[in-house]
Amino acid sequence: MSEPTICFDHVCKRFRLGESHDSLRDLIAHGLGRLLGRAVNRRSHFWALQDVSFAVVRGDTLGIIGPNGAGKSTALKLLAGILRPNSGRVSVYGRLAALIEVGAGFHGDLTGRENIFLNGAILGMSRAEVRQKLDAIVAFAGIEPFLETPVKRYSSGMYARLGFSIAAHVEADVLLVDEVLSVGDAVFRLRCLERMRELVRGGTTLVFVTHDLDQMQSICSRAIVLDHGATAFDGPAREAVGQYLHAMSRAFAERSADIEPAWGGGAVELLSLRWVGAVEKEFVSAGPRDAIRAELRFRVRRPIAAAVVELNLRSAMNEPLVSLNSGRDGVTFKMSPGERCLTLRLASLPLAGGQYFWNVRLWNADLGVIELDTPFRYPMILHDDGRATGALCVEHSWSSDANDAPLSEPALAESIS
Amino acid sequence: MSSATDIHRIRELLIALAWRDVRVRYKQSVLGIAWAVALPLLMMLLFTFVFTRAIDGSSLLGLRIPYPLYAFVGLVPWTFFSSSLTGCVNSLVANRNLVTKVCFPREVFPLSSVAAAFVDFAVAMVVLAGLMVCFSLRGEFAFVPSVSLLLVPLLVMIQIALTVGLGLLLSMANLFYRDVRLVSSAVVQLWMFISAVVVPVPRDGSVLARVIAFNPLVPLMDGYREAILYGRTPAGGGLFYAGAVAAVCLLGGWMWFRRMSYRFAECI
Repeated sequence: MSEPTICFDHVCKRFRLGESHDSLRDLIAHGLGRLLGRAVNRRSHFWALQDVSFAVVRGDTLGIIGPNGAGKSTALKLLAGILRPNSGRVSVYGRLAALIEVGAGFHGDLTGRENIFLNGAILGMSRAEVRQKLDAIVAFAGIEPFLETPVKRYSSGMYARLGFSIAAHVEADVLLVDEVLSVGDAVFRLRCLERMRELVRGGTTLVFVTHDLDQMQSICSRAIVLDHGATAFDGPAREAVGQYLHAMSRAFAERSADIEPAWGGGAVELLSLRWVGAVEKEFVSAGPRDAIRAELRFRVRRPIAAAVVELNLRSAMNEPLVSLNSGRDGVTFKMSPGERCLTLRLASLPLAGGQYFWNVRLWNADLGVIELDTPFRYPMILHDDGRATGALCVEHSWSSDANDAPLSEPALAESIS
Repeated sequence: MSSATDIHRIRELLIALAWRDVRVRYKQSVLGIAWAVALPLLMMLLFTFVFTRAIDGSSLLGLRIPYPLYAFVGLVPWTFFSSSLTGCVNSLVANRNLVTKVCFPREVFPLSSVAAAFVDFAVAMVVLAGLMVCFSLRGEFAFVPSVSLLLVPLLVMIQIALTVGLGLLLSMANLFYRDVRLVSSAVVQLWMFISAVVVPVPRDGSVLARVIAFNPLVPLMDGYREAILYGRTPAGGGLFYAGAVAAVCLLGGWMWFRRMSYRFAECI
């Protein structure tokens, strides 16, 4: 059970930038230019993957996450054999089914039934196999009444459901899934995840590319974070997500500072907002029960006799969560010109793990003027232990009225699930 | 993957894709598959009108058989050839979705175009038999059954080899340079008139005649007529030449295609 089914060995893949010769005229012009010794604009290359290595053993699940353009889809296409690496080796043992785009082989004029047979053949199923699984495919996709309708009349959800359903019924040793579950409603997404788990239990090796980190964590034991074509992290899925969010936050902070400047009277400027927590990093990386503190560094240009500072927290979905205002706490600060540092201490921040953003406001309390109002660009990452799900991470424990010894925690968790 | 399951898989896929092409061609049309019969018939009527009403074809061309039959025997294999090539040229580009998203031998795309055209060809051959019966009943044509009819499958095989070889090359060329589609449609149209499809080619030793002698389709078209209409064995030399050209086309085209196919997904 431990032989690798997928092996990515120091793989590099590069693409040409710019247009290649799409018409003969360009080719001739290019050839003539070269012949006459004229400088022809050099083609530049773009490395989609650089020296990426990983192996997946049979029945294992690997998630690949990373920002847009990190090389996730390229990796999947290399695995599927659609692309060939410039150097390195890609090996896949066993029958492979790739779901890189749902319904890639669908033809709009053909009916649902006809497309099932066509797509089945494209995914490597024989007619007999498709016939045998037809009912299961149709039932899973939930398109029974529309089986004899051309798929061009299908809604996009039906189209995607049928596409996924066919691929999910291929008996494959290796299943590649690329960001395809974003379509379809919540119920269908859950069914897809359930089906993928079922396949994995049956011994299928799964490689899953997605931007939905929760979905990825729920199905993959291990994950790779790709960034600019290189492996930034390879390890347990939960840690990979943390790592990825960290990298994203950093990139976000760097970029947003240029895009959205802070607003206000201009007497002060926020130089940095640093969270110091259990794990010392640029952004706080703490559990919800850890005490953390924020260090705000300001450059004060004009003195303020009584300044009120406010920190607001929003979720990644932009929902307001917490607002902490020094004025409400009866605290004002005397700010004299130069660099000043303020500290805010939090006993805990009982939020679910994920990415959050802060903003900072500063008033001149005497004049009633807002001197500083930043966008929500100061990121924070929280890790929870997975014991509670939802928006909050609530400290909790269980007990029973019986005097028997309490069940140990893992046993309890098992008996619940 | 063992080559046996591989070949089985490719065959299934080829059938599925060819079936899709045929199916889609006649979907949402009133006549449906009857178009496979109607199109060559219409072509034949058109050329018959030109060569019997506008000019006296039979005597001008020195034919001993009714012109409609002469034209039809040429048009049926020609239509197979030209519609195969037209399908092939576009086959990779039109299936871009599959080329960039699914991995299987890319040969199936041009091959399925040829297979789809073959379905029409088979239907039209049945129509040809019907026409021959018709003209025999009217006494304008005497069918001579002979063993040379057994050569027709060989002719078809040579033609398919030639078509597949050219089709592989054209589909690949069009993937890299879209000009190929435009050029090839013009070339195919011209090619018809130097291939003894509806009019015999000149054989008078002129420059044109000597150029045309290189055309492997001429011995094929002559062969179909000899075997089907005249009940004679076609000239061996011409057929051998056509067969050799077809074999070179097929092998060369296929090997080149194999060598380039890994680049298809990123260049399409």
